[in-house]
Amino acid sequence: MKAPARIAWLALPAGAVLAFVYVYPMLDLGRMSFNRTGPTGAMVPDWSLAIWRELLADPFTLELTWNSIVLSAVATTGALLLAYPLALFLFRTDSRWRGLIAAIAITPMLVNGVARVFGWLAILGDRGLVNSILLSAGLVDQPVRLVYNWTGVAIGLTESLMPYMILALMAGFGRLDRTLEEAAASLGAPPWRRFMRVTLPLSLPAIVLGWLLCFVLAMSAYITPKLLGGGRVFLLATEIFELAVTNVNWPMAAALALYTLILLLLFLAAYGALARRAA
Amino acid sequence: MEQSLAARDHCGQRPLKQPSLALMAHLVLTGLTKRYGQTVAVASLDLAVERGESVALLGPSGCGKTTTLRMLAGLIAPDAGRVTVADQDLTQVPTHKRDMGYVFQSYALFPHLDVAANVAFGLAERGIARSERDRRAREALALVRLAGFEGRRPRELSGGQQQRVALARALVLRPQVLLLDESLSNLDARLRESMRHEIREIQRNLAITTLFVTHDQTEALTMCDRIAVMNRGRIEQIGTAREIYDTPATRFVAGFVGRINTIPLARDATGLNAGGIAIRAHGVPDGPVDLFLRPQLVALAARSEPAGDANRLEGVAARTVFVGDRSEVLVDTAAGRLVVELAPGAPAPADGAEIALLWAPETGRVFAREDA
Ligand SMILES: Nc1ncnc2c1ncn2[C@@H]1O[C@H](COP(=O)(O)OP(=O)(O)O)[C@@H](O)[C@H]1O
Ligand SMILES: [Mg+2]
Repeated sequence: MKAPARIAWLALPAGAVLAFVYVYPMLDLGRMSFNRTGPTGAMVPDWSLAIWRELLADPFTLELTWNSIVLSAVATTGALLLAYPLALFLFRTDSRWRGLIAAIAITPMLVNGVARVFGWLAILGDRGLVNSILLSAGLVDQPVRLVYNWTGVAIGLTESLMPYMILALMAGFGRLDRTLEEAAASLGAPPWRRFMRVTLPLSLPAIVLGWLLCFVLAMSAYITPKLLGGGRVFLLATEIFELAVTNVNWPMAAALALYTLILLLLFLAAYGALARRAA
Repeated sequence: MEQSLAARDHCGQRPLKQPSLALMAHLVLTGLTKRYGQTVAVASLDLAVERGESVALLGPSGCGKTTTLRMLAGLIAPDAGRVTVADQDLTQVPTHKRDMGYVFQSYALFPHLDVAANVAFGLAERGIARSERDRRAREALALVRLAGFEGRRPRELSGGQQQRVALARALVLRPQVLLLDESLSNLDARLRESMRHEIREIQRNLAITTLFVTHDQTEALTMCDRIAVMNRGRIEQIGTAREIYDTPATRFVAGFVGRINTIPLARDATGLNAGGIAIRAHGVPDGPVDLFLRPQLVALAARSEPAGDANRLEGVAARTVFVGDRSEVLVDTAAGRLVVELAPGAPAPADGAEIALLWAPETGRVFAREDA
């Protein structure tokens, strides 16, 4: 059994980088969360659980958690519903437009997050595209509030997740096979039933993969909720930033960051256990 | 010869031009055509299959067998032509309403379902109750000798077992028509042999109208009532295995089905000759021709033996090859090297022995040379 030891060297460069930019800062963050804030607001080195107690006792923490989970779940599910048909089409088609369509679907990933948010402001704002259409069509007589609230954040987040969802789905579609649907048809299944009984179950691994990836991305998204939420949307990610930058309460910010990380790890562990049970 | 020509005409050179046959047939394909760009995959194909009959679609790879089957099942739309089953035009009917069982070359079992659920898949589509579904699935699995495998996943089965699940899945619906696409080609030789007989028996017992696609002539010869030999998107001949073998209708059929000697013939003032030796044959077309002669229809004889009415070609036995269940003698003649099957029990000629080959003029088939 010499081979595994020999291959382990391959992990060394990445391991070194990770240790430097990830493990060390995380340990530092952990250490920070046991400090105290002094009367002047400055951080006082200590080994105390005071910050953790304060964080876990505060009902606002629970509210933030709930807000983040619900928003992430809604945006991720929205992205899934929008991306699934497109990803399935891209996976299947032998059209010569395939490359172009895939590129168009995925390029938003390359656009700066701030620029994208301003794009949404132009579309969803009170004098934006959507409201002008609604107003001129006489469907509403007041602009509909689509930004600086939960709706705006959900829309923006959904859109920003789409490219990742499309890529994850296409990567996970490995077991889909046209012949299986033809077999289902020859056994008397009409198109919708073929989808429900063959295509959908076989794409379940892709759905789970895409959903998990995008959920984690949504939980840690900051720019979109910050800019499209207009200060009215309170989430774990935005609050960590507030605590660290505005309140300069570093121990509390560190504790909340670790709390979020643990939440996500628990979430992934639960998924792992479920997946093992299913297999 | 008169008789065999008549038989050939009757058994389906142009079966659809005979209204009585087409009217009686269960499955009828008329002028079925499919083009892919410049390629004509299937070229105006006509075929009539009787109820409960098993017909093999035999032809080389790429001749349009799969395309034909897929058009039949409605998986692709023909560019022209019609598919009718029991006098019902199904050409525009979608696959799921055609009531045809299709066994794919790759089996296409559902990997997320166990064997029982695979077999019961179509029963569920027909709204059959759960308990009844289970019972029928078990029955179908017993039919293909897979009782006890209900709970397995497809990936836990061997190729032969998967193939039988695919067969059970199609058969459990008692389809009007069963379509098999090279269903045995992924199996090893021994399993293929036993599956041939099993499928044949099941097909006969259930009397399902069956179209069996294969490029393997042994499979076609053993599994089917009739064989349709396909080449370049057309059916060149349809008939019983015997008819196809004994009286091939075209040069392609003669060369494709069974072993055969091809002897180039020349013409002179008195008639035909092979390497200068006068030859008599029946049904000779105009232009340059070749004689096709089955190895077992040629007799080995001593040079002294009188030829009588038979054709006679002198030669030297080059080698005798034992090929399992029979022996073949390679004989060098003025017309080239010929293969002759040794009659059972006959002594093999010594290598280098001077011998003569005899055959009756009506046993050979003469076709126009292809490159002409
Ligand atoms: N989807 C397709 N696109 C283009 N050409 C095809 C397609 N399917 C089949 N063909 C062509 O049609 C011909 C017949 O193919 P096929 O029916 O699969 O042959 P077989 O099953 O007898 O081996 C071949 O020349 C093949 O290349
Ligand atoms: Mg094929």
